[in-house]
Amino acid sequence: MNGVMSASLLVTALGLPLVLAFPALHRRLPWPVHLALLPAVALVFIPVNFWIELPWFQLGAGLGLNAQSRWWLAISVMVWALVATFLFTADRRDGYPPQTSLVLLSMTGQLGAVLAIDMVSFFAFTTLMGYACVGLLLADADATTRRAGRVYLVLLIGADILLLEAMLMAATITDNLGFATLAYTISLSNSADLYLSLVVVGFALKVGLWPLHLWLPLAYATARPATALLLWIGPVATGLLGVVRWLPLGQMAAPIPGILLLAIGTVTIFYVVLFGVMRAQRTPLPAYVVIIVTANFVIGLGACLIDPILWNRYGESAPIFMFIAGLGVAIMMVNFQCSNANDKRSRPKPVDRTALKMERGFNAFIAWGRRTGMDTLPRFRALWLAKWDGLWQKRIWQSVFDSGEYFLQRWSFAVTLFLLLFIVTLALLLLDAASVQ
Amino acid sequence: MNWSTALPLLVLASSLLPGLMIFFLAEERVITRTTLNLAGALLKIVLVGAMFWGILHGQHFETRLPLLPGLDLVLRAGPLSMLFVTLSAGLWLLTTVYAVGYLEDSPYRSRFFGFFSLCVTASVGVALAGNLITFVLFYELLSLCTYPLIVHRGTEVARKAGRSYLAYTLCGGALLLLSTVWLYTLAGTLEFTERGFLSGLDASVHPQLMFIFALLIAALGVKAALIPLHGWLPQAMVAPAPVSALLHAVAVVKAGAFGIVRVVYDVYGIEFATSLGLTLPLAILAAATIIYGSLRALFQDELKRRLAFSTVSQVSYIVLGIALASPLAAIGGLLHLVHQGVQKITLFLCAGNFAETLGIHKISEMNGVGRRMPWTMSAFTIGALGMIGAPPLAGFFSKWYLGLGALDADQAWVIWILATSSVLNAAYFLPILYLAWFKKPPASWPAERSFGNKETAWTLLVPPVVTAIMTVVLGLLASAPFGLLEWVRLIVIRGYAQ
Repeated sequence: MNGVMSASLLVTALGLPLVLAFPALHRRLPWPVHLALLPAVALVFIPVNFWIELPWFQLGAGLGLNAQSRWWLAISVMVWALVATFLFTADRRDGYPPQTSLVLLSMTGQLGAVLAIDMVSFFAFTTLMGYACVGLLLADADATTRRAGRVYLVLLIGADILLLEAMLMAATITDNLGFATLAYTISLSNSADLYLSLVVVGFALKVGLWPLHLWLPLAYATARPATALLLWIGPVATGLLGVVRWLPLGQMAAPIPGILLLAIGTVTIFYVVLFGVMRAQRTPLPAYVVIIVTANFVIGLGACLIDPILWNRYGESAPIFMFIAGLGVAIMMVNFQCSNANDKRSRPKPVDRTALKMERGFNAFIAWGRRTGMDTLPRFRALWLAKWDGLWQKRIWQSVFDSGEYFLQRWSFAVTLFLLLFIVTLALLLLDAASVQ
Repeated sequence: MNWSTALPLLVLASSLLPGLMIFFLAEERVITRTTLNLAGALLKIVLVGAMFWGILHGQHFETRLPLLPGLDLVLRAGPLSMLFVTLSAGLWLLTTVYAVGYLEDSPYRSRFFGFFSLCVTASVGVALAGNLITFVLFYELLSLCTYPLIVHRGTEVARKAGRSYLAYTLCGGALLLLSTVWLYTLAGTLEFTERGFLSGLDASVHPQLMFIFALLIAALGVKAALIPLHGWLPQAMVAPAPVSALLHAVAVVKAGAFGIVRVVYDVYGIEFATSLGLTLPLAILAAATIIYGSLRALFQDELKRRLAFSTVSQVSYIVLGIALASPLAAIGGLLHLVHQGVQKITLFLCAGNFAETLGIHKISEMNGVGRRMPWTMSAFTIGALGMIGAPPLAGFFSKWYLGLGALDADQAWVIWILATSSVLNAAYFLPILYLAWFKKPPASWPAERSFGNKETAWTLLVPPVVTAIMTVVLGLLASAPFGLLEWVRLIVIRGYAQ
């Protein structure tokens, strides 16, 4: 296989699904998602490592395939093929599948992230994938899934901002944002701990790591197998791939973040077993399985951050672990699909659509104010307005407070999360400043 | 007069002469008027292309005409001016095509297109100005030519918006003239110079220079919509969509932002301005405007008003980039001059399409509009995601360089401003996309017009689709040879001694 052929396959693996995402094109084809996957399938079977550099593309991008990314590509191809089959099978009953464009865009983003060999390309492709996944959730007929989409959207925005900051930090450390040298360069920097924290928190938001897993059970509650599998290979597996690519694993020891990840992973498993799996209805079970897989992966990452030698010794098994986990999730979803087809009783029961736990705290504060007669925000407004005599000022403040209340109520989840993120980032910055001194 | 001295004048004349001729055309001379408009716009692009080519090959284009004793009217093509001229010329063609379709059945089209052409002439003059007095002349001309466009509909609301616009911009213009004269008395020259012409002045006049800088920023900040001088911009959104596009993307706010770039780079010089401590307050003012504009945009139900507050916020990215006094941030700011223009014109043209085709003016009326107008809504989506800064669209690269510049300048607080602004941008743009793509359309639209089996007229559809494609291409090919990034780097390098 010569270089031109390989390069063409790399570009086609991303270009074809992107082009087919245009409804006017894929509507004319019988199996558009399967067709779009063919170049990627061919790439899996190319036995040599190769890459192409595109200095004119974005900020100078690169695509490539090596032994490790070939595993990720293999699992991706397998899961996407299943997604495509489920999508087609499910929608043959309902006529034309309206989400095909979004599926193809997600596929472009996910495959692009696997093939990317630099941070900016990876970030761009995962963003495409993330927003397309949000679109898929929001396009769902079920209100709970749409709710999951909105929650995931907020998490995604938070994640993207943190990862952008991490990327900016990396760019100030090194001119070369390619993964080949990134880990080593970052490990030599004074700001490595802050970078590491931003990457971990950023990807934790993306993959739905406990306690930021809120959207996963909601999304899986009524998701069809195609969407459920897509959510696994898209946000979750690719997010974990991101952690592996972005962290300086095997290059530096970071005991505190490592212990923190170990603790989070362990607590997650206990949490899921005690509060998730045991109380869950049948349909969100895959969500909890996904969370457990993520937790196991995080425990591994924590161990490798504590002792970098572990990564050098066992790091190559990470994609194999993900491959097996993906296979498990896929088999589970196939099983669900078959049993759902045979047993109508397995349809999901009505799902609790009340506010999420994070929001409940915020809403409880306002409700408590109302119950105790203080009606927190309006009372605060009245107190403030009482200080102003002029009608004009009153009008302005009235409108300011009304807007504020509207914002807090309409975007309570976003506000809560943003405040949390702000506090976490501030704490990290202070820690970093202290460590520099 | 040879080719090198004539070309800047020809670039101006390519819109000035058609504009003047259009004034004298009868309303029913549609084909002549359209031909003149399009021929002028195309000719301008050809001339700007020739100028661009010449500059790349080391040619120097300058026109110098005596204006007052000791003061010339100077038109000069340099890297910075070409950035603005190319943007104006390119977007003018698209806006003209759009305006032809938009105003198909409207009255007073000759008046409209006449002033429209004069506006572009003035903005090209602002871009090519080789000294401060030439800049002031074209800047004022721009204010006066835009007024009839804002009040074009003739309604009471439009007239009120026009009066407000005129009050703001004329006060700004007076301040600009005052500071220009004051500078001339101190420096004896007003010629735009690489790294400024004021650094050699005696230290005793530095307090005066600081005060003049504040006056200049106040004067230019009116058009750049810096708070608290932004009041005219949301009001002016009552104007027809092509005028909004002109105000927000091509000419007016850009002239303000471009003026600030000129003052910081070519009047004071970035290093001298920093040494006087002028850049940090400007950065803080820009940061405050970014957050304020986004917060106000969040609560607007009227689509164009939301976009107007978004402009208030987004234009300040340009100012922030310049004020951070870092070459990387300056690259971000100048990239945003172009990126914001392309993205915002897409959004305004789409907003015009929704209004013209379906009678939609409010966001709350946009449920399911994506299914009825998929091409327009796709263009809107790309523009909105670009504004949020989603990669790989153009807006991402502006924010990327602004972020890098903030770290380079040791101003990490700016990262928080950028992050907060991105969250707010997402908060006011994504709900629109959600309503348009994922909500069910209503049984009937507020005022639907039929265009056969097309979603709208092609003159209304092609321009926003083209600018949306430009948003994608500018992002994907950011590092292409002879691309925008390379051009902007060249501009920034000449602004810094080291």
